[in-house]
Amino acid sequence: MAEIIDGSENVSVQGILNWILLLAIFSIITVIGNSIGFSHPIGDSLIGMAILSLITLAGVWMERYLPFNISSIIYISVMGIVLAFPGMPTSDILLYYVSKVELLSIVTVFLAYVGIGMGKSWNEFKALGGKAVIITVIVIASTYLGSAIVAHCVLVMTGVPA
Amino acid sequence: MLILVVIAELIGTIKIPITHDVAITIMPLIYTIILGLAFYLAKPIKWIKRKQARIAEGAMMLFIGVLIAKLAVSSGQSITLIFEMGPALILQEIGHLATILVLPIALLLGFKRESIGMTNSIGREPNVAVVVDKFGFNSPESRGVFAIFIIGTVIGTIFISFVVTLSLSFLPLHPYAFAMASGVGSASMNAAAIGPTLAAFPGMETQIEAFAGFSNLLSFCVGIYIVIFLAMPLTEKLYDILEPKIGKDSITQKKEDD
Repeated sequence: MAEIIDGSENVSVQGILNWILLLAIFSIITVIGNSIGFSHPIGDSLIGMAILSLITLAGVWMERYLPFNISSIIYISVMGIVLAFPGMPTSDILLYYVSKVELLSIVTVFLAYVGIGMGKSWNEFKALGGKAVIITVIVIASTYLGSAIVAHCVLVMTGVPA
Repeated sequence: MLILVVIAELIGTIKIPITHDVAITIMPLIYTIILGLAFYLAKPIKWIKRKQARIAEGAMMLFIGVLIAKLAVSSGQSITLIFEMGPALILQEIGHLATILVLPIALLLGFKRESIGMTNSIGREPNVAVVVDKFGFNSPESRGVFAIFIIGTVIGTIFISFVVTLSLSFLPLHPYAFAMASGVGSASMNAAAIGPTLAAFPGMETQIEAFAGFSNLLSFCVGIYIVIFLAMPLTEKLYDILEPKIGKDSITQKKEDD
């Protein structure tokens, strides 16, 4: 994630207005996908995306302007968790609108950007040997399977029903 | 401004697969990644050039934020459940140490000290920072971790959704375990891993999103200390033990000729 944050600094995506514009575009695309793929009402999901965008904006802003060395990811996560906390006055409204935005709609649009970003590393990627690719593939698979198996064992040991 | 509109237009094109690809669940995600990459690589399409790609990357910080916010809202909603599952959530972070088991394979393939950088972790941004900090920018260890980073950037998202899909069909694990495992410490891989998991367990969306998001947050804040204090020393120790036995000189020589 540091890469993305670094990336933003040498790219002309500055200023809160640009951020809002980008988030607005992202929201609209997501909402369109959301209504096509999951047939959620456009109005409600737009409000949901607006809420998520606001949390994001606040988090990114805090990372830049608060004097702590904390990533925006952490600010955003904490805000999201606290705002949705059961019993918080905000939680009912928040949950209603945010639940109208499917995670998969966000993911799909997001990964399209990841794909574009990937192109940048394409030449470096081609320069690396096939052996390094083999290692990477095994590393990724083992980190996933490792934690899946540990999680499963702990869940079974602590008696969590499936 | 123009660039932004262009990006929007591009995404508009990619949007289409979602409508008719409900059956094969990983397809929409994979589609968009590959299309995004293809649009960049297809040089005839002039408007997605390197600069736009960099802007897309800069903007990604914001879009990751939206993704994280959505996951955080799910986590907050299920906070009591998360506390109940606390032990599993924390211990599964230890499961990421499984990457060290790849070290012998790296040695057998002829990597030397590069293998330490390659196999101490999944090699995402925080891990790269740890390795570079410890061994220096021009060390073989850093070369190793950079290689994993770049390859992971290019094929990681596609590959992990493939691994997840296979695991879901062949491993009889707890749904929560799949959700927790998808938090590998990379937002894009996290996103790509959640998709198939959500599709496999309908009706558990909120719990899966909650665990996946929280686990990724844990990987991000706690995982780095596991790498520094546990994974890295273990990898080095294992290297010292194994390298004299199964390390191969000739291939390293060849690698340096490359």
